Amino acid sequence: MVDGWDQERLKRARVLVAGVGGLGGLSATYLAEAGVGYLRICDSDKVELSNLNRQILYTAADIGKPKAMLAAKRLYAQNPEIEIEAVLDTLTETNAGELASGCDLIVDGLDSHSGRLKLNKASFDLNIPYIYGAIREWMGQLSFFNPPKTACLACLMPGELKIPGPTPVFGALAAAVGSLQATLALKYLMTGEIPAANALLIFRADTIVFEKVTFERRPGCGVCGDAAPPGPRR
Amino acid sequence: MTVFLRAGGQLRAMIKPDVDHYTRKVEIEGGKTIGEILEHISLNPAFVALMYVDGAMKDLSYKPADGETITLQPPVSGG
Repeated sequence: MVDGWDQERLKRARVLVAGVGGLGGLSATYLAEAGVGYLRICDSDKVELSNLNRQILYTAADIGKPKAMLAAKRLYAQNPEIEIEAVLDTLTETNAGELASGCDLIVDGLDSHSGRLKLNKASFDLNIPYIYGAIREWMGQLSFFNPPKTACLACLMPGELKIPGPTPVFGALAAAVGSLQATLALKYLMTGEIPAANALLIFRADTIVFEKVTFERRPGCGVCGDAAPPGPRR
Repeated sequence: MTVFLRAGGQLRAMIKPDVDHYTRKVEIEGGKTIGEILEHISLNPAFVALMYVDGAMKDLSYKPADGETITLQPPVSGG
């Protein structure tokens, strides 16, 4: 057994995996295989051919089928001892709170910054930690947000990101970042410790370099800062 | 002063690297902010999601010291 492993704590844990594509499919796989007791997986997409270079839960025979349902079935086959709830829905400002409600942790598998900002807001309002992850070309990023103990995503990137064109991604990078997200999640769920607080972990796959970049909570942050409007914070 | 800009992804081509595959050397008057340096090389800061120096996040108002390397991170939002 791995030193410090606490299977009982994992059995009691409840995690939302928002998006089960490249990142979420990988992280959900490792969370399921580690025995996280309850996974709520949310995705409104259907499998497309372009997904198959990195979305390990699906095959060519799945093209056109809803990801959330397929993912639930495949994850359950990997570990029938856990509970999996599949939600076929798009994360919005209105439903983000409901999707995260009752969970101990949120793991990011989304494919848009605007979606991530909604998830970040729900994370803050419900006081549920949020493991951010994102990939593009040769770069991966991840961090652990749990204000006020840490900054939040909006402290770092509050607005829409200007993306020139489609987002190319390759499979191994999604696996690298997704598995790091699962690692952060399992560490937190078993110990309560916040790994790499107030640090953005950047993986540059073209040079095989890991960087850790520190940042601080922004007092003027519109979500977790002093100027944020009062909300339904738990 | 001399500063270095380092970038990956689609930003790499935009900075026109001349030191190595990822880095461009910029000679500019001292006391300039990152925002002013980007304007000097005609790079729209809207394409830069994050920037950091020596492992610490900065913003466009940061004034780098002579010899510092500023890493520019493009938007990374896929999943």
